[in-house]
Amino acid sequence: MTEPGLTTESTVYVIYIASTPEKVWAALTSAEFTTQYFFGRLVESDWAKGSPWTLSRTDGTVDVRGVVRESDPPRKLVVSWIVDGPEKGKALPESIVTYEIEVAGEGVVRLTMIEAHPTPIPAHLLEGGRRGWPMILSGLKSLLETGKPLAIPVPQPKEA
Amino acid sequence: MPGSKFVYVTYIRTTPETLWKALIDPEFTRQYMSETWQDSEWKPGSSWKLMIPDGRVGDSGQILEIEPERRLVLTWRNEFKPELRDEPVTRLTYELESQGESVKLTVTHESEKSGSKLIDAVSQGWPHILASLKSLLETGESLVETRRWPEGL
Repeated sequence: MTEPGLTTESTVYVIYIASTPEKVWAALTSAEFTTQYFFGRLVESDWAKGSPWTLSRTDGTVDVRGVVRESDPPRKLVVSWIVDGPEKGKALPESIVTYEIEVAGEGVVRLTMIEAHPTPIPAHLLEGGRRGWPMILSGLKSLLETGKPLAIPVPQPKEA
Repeated sequence: MPGSKFVYVTYIRTTPETLWKALIDPEFTRQYMSETWQDSEWKPGSSWKLMIPDGRVGDSGQILEIEPERRLVLTWRNEFKPELRDEPVTRLTYELESQGESVKLTVTHESEKSGSKLIDAVSQGWPHILASLKSLLETGESLVETRRWPEGL
């Protein structure tokens, strides 16, 4: 049982993209793509099981790091997600992010993102992901379908 | 809180005017919502029907709130699936918010019934429909599987 006020609830976001599994995989795992839809951040890893991965800013500041738990291109990617950098310690304990890529009809891919929390966390810490993932994955879809990134004004973080 | 609730947020490169039209106009909905269209006068208190292409009524309800280009709230009862028809009426809310060159669309579909099969069923459908709407407005083409009413349904 989880203590009152704490949760292990996952955040799930499903989106359908007119693309191929290979292109969606590339968009999730190459900095060239992520800088265009992931709040300007770049991902780095060799994406082999057990390898480290990072999500960083163009100035080199690492925001998130973790380990590749499962890698089955172009179908499934599971990574641990540990907040680092300026937000370290203020935010989430280690979470697990899973991407599942499936063909869903002619020329269409279903991408499922699951942000799971093995360690119980205060429910309000889910809000960042629930706000962020729809922006990130809407941007990924626009980029793959139109070739142009989606400019969504990024909300400024509130000062604590 | 008891009950069932599905919430989906998507960002679409369009204007609130175009998105509003796409949510309501049969010429749009037929392209991304499995050939269905809505029959309503779109005024508070008006009846609302989601029409299946063969002429059956798929779902029905009433407009509760309507603020063009910003907000639409309606009641939604399933009419064509026996296992869903007897559930308490559900509520659908569309909220549109301009954000730079995009519009944030929030879709909330909720029921007072915990474990609602209707909310479970629409939760499977909404992400596909809303992704298809986004494709239609951004590229001019909806997603293939949402262009036709499924055979035999």
